[in-house]
Amino acid sequence: MTCLEVRELLAELAVDTITTEDRKEVERHLQWCAGCRKEASDLGQAAAILAYSLTPASVPQGLNERVVDRVRRVAGGSGTPRRARTAAAAIVAAIVAVASLGWGAVMAGRADRFADRAEQAERDRARALERFQVVLSQVIPGEEISSNEGARLGQLAPAAGGTGGAAVLQLVSPTMLDFVIVIANGLSDDPDRLPYRVQLSNDAGQVLRAGRIAELDSDGGAEVFRQFQTQPLTGYSTVTLLDAAGEVVLTGTVDQTP
Amino acid sequence: MSTRPDGPLLAREEQQLVEALLAGNEEAVRTLYARYARPIFTLGLRLLGSAEAAEELTQDVFVAAWRKAARFDPSRGRLSTWLMTIAHNLAVDRLRRETGATRPQLVLVDEVPEVIGADEDEPMIERDAAIRALETLSDAEKGLLARAYFGGFTAREIAEADGTPLGTVKTRLRTALIKVRRANQDKERP
Repeated sequence: MTCLEVRELLAELAVDTITTEDRKEVERHLQWCAGCRKEASDLGQAAAILAYSLTPASVPQGLNERVVDRVRRVAGGSGTPRRARTAAAAIVAAIVAVASLGWGAVMAGRADRFADRAEQAERDRARALERFQVVLSQVIPGEEISSNEGARLGQLAPAAGGTGGAAVLQLVSPTMLDFVIVIANGLSDDPDRLPYRVQLSNDAGQVLRAGRIAELDSDGGAEVFRQFQTQPLTGYSTVTLLDAAGEVVLTGTVDQTP
Repeated sequence: MSTRPDGPLLAREEQQLVEALLAGNEEAVRTLYARYARPIFTLGLRLLGSAEAAEELTQDVFVAAWRKAARFDPSRGRLSTWLMTIAHNLAVDRLRRETGATRPQLVLVDEVPEVIGADEDEPMIERDAAIRALETLSDAEKGLLARAYFGGFTAREIAEADGTPLGTVKTRLRTALIKVRRANQDKERP
């Protein structure tokens, strides 16, 4: 689709009346076109404003607790040591901030972006690490990626003929629990392919499970977070996302150099 | 997790809230709920037509926010609009999945009463801003947006119903949204 064709559809995208086929085409275009993405964002925000014009209804009693309970169940319950969580939180917070600085485009990219722009991705990764350091210093003053926090970035590219892409961050530290985050996008929602599994492997062929993706959002996206209570992630630099049949969907390595 | 009790959150406070959400901070969910549950539930009630469905939607929105928090991009809009976009998407998806061609009950914006009930004394700054933004629209524009956003009518359906060219309906829809956005931006400027 051209920008002209896309812009004709952005208002309908904003109010959710666009057809499924057009939505896919438009969203594909928005991944690389900053101008149309800006307009889509503006129109989407305008549409969201409409919701606030409604006369507020009374919320059922106890809904607060039911919401918290539901989120708690989804999150898999508590029990993770606070210290480790806090450290992970700082890193994740840094990722969010990096995303706002521009790396989000890399993380949100789809298959063609990863495949077609491998070289650019390498440069982006180096730049992302620099930005990551800037943001990390703001989150944890004095913290250096190279000295204490083993923050390793990587990208997963689709297997031949496949779709999707992912960004990976591993946090490897002698004093904190190790942590991995995988943010995937553009995965097929074919029920036969779900659930997806994410695994880490080292050169000796040892494999660690990093998580499972049972459902996808409308972008074919999902996140996997996992803390490793006893297992250090050193050496587990290969990250693979497989479908339910065990077929490799995405694969890549995290950068081993801090 | 501490935020000011009333008034829209500053961008920095939204960022802190998202960070707390990502950290698995349960208090962040409660803060988010306190601020946004009511408009989300209200939207669900209007689009889905029952308190039960609206409650399910509200729960789904907070779960989605928890799961997708890493994708919140402050450069692309406020937290409130991000949550409302999630709510609208989920509601529309549910309607399409469950009711096929059945439309949610149409709620015309100019039918919305202006008076808030006595038990509704919490700050409604977002609502005031939304109403002020909608006041910049003509009645025809308000009706058009209501049919699309609250009624789920496509541009083609509106064009056929009104006997108006499809291109004209699309242009009017876009123009109305741009007017709302600009009016809201003007409000946000100091």
